[in-house]
Amino acid sequence: MHLLLASIIDTVRQLGWGGAFELLRNGIVLGSLYALIALGYSMVYGILKLLNFAHGDIYMVGAFLGYGVFTQLGAPLSPVVSIVPLLILTFLAGMLGAGALGVVVERFAYRPLRNAPRIAPLISALGVAFFLENSVLLLTNGNRYNYNAFALGGDPNTGLPGTLFDPVFSVDGRPVTVVQVLVVATSVGLMVALTLLVRRTRLGKAMRATAYDREAATMMGIDTDLVITSTFFIGSVLAGAAGVMFGLYIGETYHFMGFLAGLKAFTAAVVGGIGSIPGAMVGGVLIGLTEAYATGYVGGQWSDLVVFGILILFMLLRPTGIFGARAIQKV
Amino acid sequence: MKKLVLLPLIATLAVAAAGSGGASTQSPAAAGSALIKCGKTRTIGMAAPLTGDAASLGLQQLRWAKFFVSRYNRAHKTKKFRLVQGDTQLPNTAQALAVAHQFASNSKILGLVGPAGSQEVQDTVAVYKAGGLAAVTGSATRVALTRSKPGKPRETPNGWFYRTVPNDDQQGARVANWIDKQLKKKRIYIIDDEEAYSQGLADQVQALLSARSGFHVSRDHVSQSVSDFSSLITRIPANTQIVYIPWQLAPKAQLFFTQLRANGKRAIVFGSDGLFAPGTFNAVGSYVSAFPIDFNSAALKAYTKSHGGKAEAFGLPSYTAALVNATAIDKACKDGKASRAEVHKFIKKTNLAKTKTLLGFSVRFLSKNAGASQGPGDMAAPADFAIFHIENGGKYVRVG
Repeated sequence: MHLLLASIIDTVRQLGWGGAFELLRNGIVLGSLYALIALGYSMVYGILKLLNFAHGDIYMVGAFLGYGVFTQLGAPLSPVVSIVPLLILTFLAGMLGAGALGVVVERFAYRPLRNAPRIAPLISALGVAFFLENSVLLLTNGNRYNYNAFALGGDPNTGLPGTLFDPVFSVDGRPVTVVQVLVVATSVGLMVALTLLVRRTRLGKAMRATAYDREAATMMGIDTDLVITSTFFIGSVLAGAAGVMFGLYIGETYHFMGFLAGLKAFTAAVVGGIGSIPGAMVGGVLIGLTEAYATGYVGGQWSDLVVFGILILFMLLRPTGIFGARAIQKV
Repeated sequence: MKKLVLLPLIATLAVAAAGSGGASTQSPAAAGSALIKCGKTRTIGMAAPLTGDAASLGLQQLRWAKFFVSRYNRAHKTKKFRLVQGDTQLPNTAQALAVAHQFASNSKILGLVGPAGSQEVQDTVAVYKAGGLAAVTGSATRVALTRSKPGKPRETPNGWFYRTVPNDDQQGARVANWIDKQLKKKRIYIIDDEEAYSQGLADQVQALLSARSGFHVSRDHVSQSVSDFSSLITRIPANTQIVYIPWQLAPKAQLFFTQLRANGKRAIVFGSDGLFAPGTFNAVGSYVSAFPIDFNSAALKAYTKSHGGKAEAFGLPSYTAALVNATAIDKACKDGKASRAEVHKFIKKTNLAKTKTLLGFSVRFLSKNAGASQGPGDMAAPADFAIFHIENGGKYVRVG
């Protein structure tokens, strides 16, 4: 144990402030993606008390749909449109496609089980997750696909990065690139839009009412089926956006990418307070930062251990999460 | 009432009987000693990960083995081969064992290509041996599979495991010497992907370079499931000259390279044979150790043309493994009948010309220890690794 601590202290000293900043940057970018996925978990749990374990795979499908449009438009080496419309179309494909898939999954895998015992939709969610993973595995033969946005606008001969990886600014020589700013800005923008939708619109009011008491909401004339469908759509759209951004920032898209990302986003949702939208955002960033600093200071083989260790700690010490409220049970 | 019980039972038995059509199932020992009529079509079993995390590697191997079979069948009118596939789902040991039992019990199978992973070879070779099948693999490179060392016994029974790839020690020694003598770089950062193949090579190169004076060698690990390498890259000191990544997944290595450059780090990346993937691992300026493949060979060009322009070199040794089996089976079948014992005998005596193997060297198997790291089942000299440099446009050029 003391050897590990000594190694960590040594690494902190070696990496210095520049390294600390770099890890902060990495954590915020990664955390933004986790936050977007976690929002879907929280929203669905808030309304239906269902842990939608297929959500990570909807994120995966969103990434693939975005990849399809991105490459069909000739990117990264010979795009037929300029970079801004290229990115808009890629995002739309990933987001709307994922949204549509979320609606279909809710309609056929969860709605028929709404009045069944709680375990039934949970098992169905697991089944949907495996179904999606294996469907994509069959379609892709297990191959991994790379957006290679690195090469967009770059020189394939020299291997040096293109436009999306140009530095916007640097701190102690550590660059913050265009794509990193894009990921964080887009994530923040989507989270703000979601917050406004939930707080300021009729649909948002209906969502809050349904989350509070579904039966009562129905009796008050709210079309709870539509509200639930909308929730799934919005959550899946956010996951699709995260999938596309992951593809642009990291590159890789493959059938199993949703599994670990989904688990970490689920951890983020729990840490933040399952059912809480601000909780999902904060939890996502927290998990991203934890992963970055654990990898950077302790080592890559420790990061998952630390992240899921945090999940266990929160379940033991504060099961409602950071923003979750204790539910009062009438006896 | 009796009818209600009997009818579904009979139906089940009928379905089971129909399902086993095409395979003669016996106990492994019986299948091992059975003398079968060779007929026009002979059967080779192929054990590889066709689904799961390593599917991209296993499918390359399958495609190369099928390529061998289709070329052979086109060239021969009176005798053909067919492949029976077994999906081992590396690293799923239970599945690898299930495939081993299935193949061992199927008396039609006269030869075996695979298994792919070093761990699954260790786990399943006893089952194959019981069935009289010698494993001939195109990828399991762990040294201990063929050579015992102090504190580490040999992991397979002598005479039952052969490989058409050089082992990790040969590759590690080649890489260490190249870094030291040719590239003359001293600050090395080694990252393994936590799999047996990668750790073995990483250990080897680390030990060899650390023992030489003037070298600064650091070691790190990353899981194969990771795609975001940004924080791992933060750990790499800015003055690192070479990052050695003996990984199996070329798409991951390409991701790592692009992220390394995007983070402003200019270290040279050096990959192992698992990353020999023109078209996938296009890291300009990087080096890769791999087999001395002849890119001008007609067979390689034909494969590349028929597979979307991809050479899929990781799978190429499985072509050679299939060739080893086919040659042995042909010899055993000269009198129209063959047993696995006969095929095994001819596998031991394999002697294939360089022009046939596609590996850039002839293939003969050692029957005893050779040098510091080779043992029975390894390929005899001149089998060794070559060094390739990736140049502008992702072109692989052999430099050593």
